[in-house]
Amino acid sequence: MSVRRSPGGLIAPSRRWREWLTGYAFILPAVVVIAIFGLFPILYAVYMSLYSWRVRKGAFIGLENYLRTVGDVRGALAFFAGLLLVLVAHWLWTDAFRGGRAELRRALQAAGALVLLAAGVAVALGWRLMTASGDRVFLQGLVRTVYYGFGSVPIQIALALVLASLLFQKIRGRELFRMLFFLPYVTPAVAGAAVFRTIFSPRPDFLANTLLSLLHIPPQRWLFETKPLTQVLFGGVLARLGVTHVSGFWAGPSLALVTIILFGIWTYTGYNAVIFLAGLGNIPQELYEAAAIDGAGSVQQFRFITVPLLSPVTFYLTVLGFIGTFQAFTQIYVMRQIAVRDAVDTASVVIFDTFYKRNNWSLAAAQSVVLFVIILILTLYQNRFFGRSAFGG
Amino acid sequence: MASAPEGAARAARGRELAPEAGRRARAEPFEFKLAQLPVYFLLLVGAVVALTPFFYMMSTSLMTLGETINRRLLPATPQWVNYRQAWTQADFALYFRNSVVITAIVVLGVLVTCTLAGYAFARIDFPGRGAIFMVLLATLMIPGTVTFIPNFLMVRGDVIPWGSWINKLPALTVPFLSTAFIIFLFRQFFMGIPDELWDAARIDGAGHLRFLTAVVVPMSRPVMLTAALLTFVHSWNEFLWPLLVTTTPTWRPLGVGLYTFITEAGPQTQYLMAGAVITILPILVVYFFTQKQFTEGIATSGLKG
Repeated sequence: MSVRRSPGGLIAPSRRWREWLTGYAFILPAVVVIAIFGLFPILYAVYMSLYSWRVRKGAFIGLENYLRTVGDVRGALAFFAGLLLVLVAHWLWTDAFRGGRAELRRALQAAGALVLLAAGVAVALGWRLMTASGDRVFLQGLVRTVYYGFGSVPIQIALALVLASLLFQKIRGRELFRMLFFLPYVTPAVAGAAVFRTIFSPRPDFLANTLLSLLHIPPQRWLFETKPLTQVLFGGVLARLGVTHVSGFWAGPSLALVTIILFGIWTYTGYNAVIFLAGLGNIPQELYEAAAIDGAGSVQQFRFITVPLLSPVTFYLTVLGFIGTFQAFTQIYVMRQIAVRDAVDTASVVIFDTFYKRNNWSLAAAQSVVLFVIILILTLYQNRFFGRSAFGG
Repeated sequence: MASAPEGAARAARGRELAPEAGRRARAEPFEFKLAQLPVYFLLLVGAVVALTPFFYMMSTSLMTLGETINRRLLPATPQWVNYRQAWTQADFALYFRNSVVITAIVVLGVLVTCTLAGYAFARIDFPGRGAIFMVLLATLMIPGTVTFIPNFLMVRGDVIPWGSWINKLPALTVPFLSTAFIIFLFRQFFMGIPDELWDAARIDGAGHLRFLTAVVVPMSRPVMLTAALLTFVHSWNEFLWPLLVTTTPTWRPLGVGLYTFITEAGPQTQYLMAGAVITILPILVVYFFTQKQFTEGIATSGLKG
């Protein structure tokens, strides 16, 4: 224990000791709980991942579980290096050079763009190497997580922005609307997912298909549909072009996953709208007044004042949304149908199954550590992008 | 989760400004303009989309089996008996009691441990204070998907030999008895309490514990309510962990009960929806009564998922 002078340096030593002891006693219960169930697990997960551990602990096998998960060491290194290079690119673009000659600044920005390009290439090539020999289920789970994120986060943010700016007008019943929009977010995910399972039943007379029939669209199988979205949407056109089967990343998520994405949008749009509403409250009203004097209409005001000034909030919600996506479990686990096998399993669901169904505890631990690293990098993005622009100044 | 502190700091700043904006908007007399009709229309569409699943759930929960199969919009006569069935036959009474007990213990535990810790981090000076606090905050970045595997071993008594907690109450409560985020929330609030109060209390011969219980806690009702609400929602909605540690109905909470009902009950949608209503209702009741603190508390916390 280090001896440090307390600010009240004149206090007698015995009293200082008592003060310290009180402090430690106060934090003790919380520290014990968090240390055991919050901090220790991350160390223990790494420890477990180095063994062969199926329910009972087996032999030490080093990095084999990781190798099995990511497939190719060089590929994984390239992939993660690429993810980190994005940070370097952002740094070059914004902060590497402040003030001084404009040419140098432009040169550094160009370098940043190049680094970003390199990052993209590294991620793509690394990924190709990884998928060639890695754990197919887990890596596919990561792809589905990305689908899930890109499918739900931008839409829920765009809708939330619209709702928030509508709510911000001088309207009657703002509180009521805000409460209603927020309702899905507080709803227990299991219960919400149970309802969505019924609404999106493959039977033609259930709600989702009834709505489709109003638009003269044939009923869909929703959560039971493993075909990728592109095929569901453009199947007829593609068939006429002689394409009967689409696959690969750009084929998009299965309709089953899209249905789960719809549930995600339903859940989080109101939450995002509430956060946007707080952000809107922070935009100085004078800006709008000045713009109005200059003759800007409400659409222009929205485009040139609201959107740019809310962009920090937007970005914050985006990264938060993606981190949430990588952790999402309940809604997917509850909504998935046995019939679609692993068509909707995102990374966290795969980890759970590796643990719970396949009983390979150490492999699940290794997968969870890999997922943790990805989430950590996302968090770094968030700190990097927000450190300055949003909350720093 | 990772960014909770920043989110809170940002939103706390936002809250200082928000009331002003609200007042400005309210001060002007309301007048209905025809031009606003599209605004109301779009808001109504949003509200309908948000509410439809609730409507669907409630109407289905009151249908007969036949009505759930040959889809009707509304039941011919409300079958309140479905709720009695779900409550007694499908064990929802037990699940409900379990959820209440678990959530009550967790909320109380969090309030006690986090008040003490938040107070110590805000107002008691001891060596290592800053470092310990940072380490605790770092745990917010660790996702549940990483912690659940080692924690499962932990509650089985594999790591610390305290016996297996599987299917017992401690497994569902002890791991949640404290969280860094609430400590952070309390610390921020307690730091704002004027030093003069503490000086006065000390002159009266009060120690930290006395000061905390007699002065600080009564002053901190709003933040305590926010913390209690956040913890309540999280505890009530917890799914992955109770799914793992309850293999029998003894301590199974509502969420997991509902899930087992989905997987086992098959096509009896009306009972399932009654169970869903039972699961949602307590959250809704609390939400309706504490709406403002609720939305703002969650908006400030930046918590998600």
